[in-house]
Amino acid sequence: MDLKELGANLGLEASEFIELVELFLSTAKKDLQKLREAYQSGDSKTVAGSAHSLKGSSGNLGFSELSVLSRKAEDKGGEEDLSGFEEILDAIHQQIEKIESCLMEST
Amino acid sequence: MMTAGQPFQILIVDDNPLNLKLLETTLAKDGYHVLSATNGPAAREIALVEKPHLILLDIKMPEEDGFQVIQKLKENPATTTIPVIFLTGVSDIGTKLHGFELGAVDYITKPFHPREVLARVRLHLKLSIATNSLIAGQAQKLKQITEAQTSMLVTPDMVPRARFGVYYSALQEAGGDFYEVTPISDEIFGYFVADFSGHDIQTSYLTASVKALLKQNSAPVYEAHESMQMINDVLVEILPEGKYLTACYARLNQKTKQMTIVNAGHPPVIFVPLEGKPVRVDMQGDILGIFKEVYFGSHTMDVNSGDRFYLYSDGLIESSRDKTLWTSGSNKLLAACEDAGSVSIQEAPRHIVQLLSDKDVPIEDDVVVLGVEV
Repeated sequence: MDLKELGANLGLEASEFIELVELFLSTAKKDLQKLREAYQSGDSKTVAGSAHSLKGSSGNLGFSELSVLSRKAEDKGGEEDLSGFEEILDAIHQQIEKIESCLMEST
Repeated sequence: MMTAGQPFQILIVDDNPLNLKLLETTLAKDGYHVLSATNGPAAREIALVEKPHLILLDIKMPEEDGFQVIQKLKENPATTTIPVIFLTGVSDIGTKLHGFELGAVDYITKPFHPREVLARVRLHLKLSIATNSLIAGQAQKLKQITEAQTSMLVTPDMVPRARFGVYYSALQEAGGDFYEVTPISDEIFGYFVADFSGHDIQTSYLTASVKALLKQNSAPVYEAHESMQMINDVLVEILPEGKYLTACYARLNQKTKQMTIVNAGHPPVIFVPLEGKPVRVDMQGDILGIFKEVYFGSHTMDVNSGDRFYLYSDGLIESSRDKTLWTSGSNKLLAACEDAGSVSIQEAPRHIVQLLSDKDVPIEDDVVVLGVEV
């Protein structure tokens, strides 16, 4: 994952994009936290809502893998079928960590 | 209105801080001044105070959603003209249609690409500028017409020998009624009152044409009805389809003390002799500007010094509220014309209008009253 390239795709300078990624990470971690809690309490509606938020922000910044995963999570919440959701949560968590480490490298 | 060098202000409304930041960064880079709000009520407040040139609005927001925001913005006259572009999910056709129904100019699907946002913002700002200048241009044009029309209206002090007084009130910016007083010779004057069907910009252009026609066609060698005939022939050629005018033309020879009245589908002239009761000068006549073969009623009468004539438009006695037509309203008019004998001919038309107007009912049409004294 090349943050500089992702930023350039959006017509942004590296510094501008990094600022956005920082903001993204703080909201994404909150979304993941909410997602996990909602899953544990079996609250499909909140699962769908938090996943929708994560899908939007990751999609806009070009984090396509994370966006696809969030969409899966949103669909599961919408269908009220949380089977195998643990795996999706782990994958989302990994993606967020990956973005975070990329950010560390580029700053 | 924009002036050069002043940045465009864009208001972004989104409850997602990341989207807000991304849009903010993108637009600011392109030279826009960005305002932002994270909820509907705050957005409407900013829109009202700052009057941004454009609003980017997320639909999916907690509590007051984007639809409610658009609706409230459109309902408020202060914010109704601000273009709104809304942000929506890609597959949501219902949302898109509903947004347009409420008055949004465009939408951007999420996830959005900043360059697409910029392109759409630019496009709609350009459209907005074009629309504003179009409206301003039209208003300016109409203003010029009104000014031109008023300046073209002859006043009693311009032709004192014509011995007339006039009351003229145009309901709309370019009135459908007009009048003209034309000196034909030192002792002969023509008085003309007309009413165009419909009130619009075209009418005012045509008013100027009719005035020119009157000037060209009212030489002493022509009888009054011949002048009307020639004017009709030209109008048939130049008037747009379905447009016509009713008119009354009076020609007074102060030397021979003869008055000739020609009627083209217009309410009858009121004749007020110095001694005696006022009477309507009833006659038949076709309207002007529709038919090539026309008949205009024409009547010539001997008059005496101090006798008066009143030409007027139907707005004077026709009220759409109580459906009064000139046939029933004219008794009141006759009485008012008689009463106006107590004031000078310059004052008489206003006096008549005041007597006839109902304080509780605003005048519903253009009104022109032209009084002539022999």
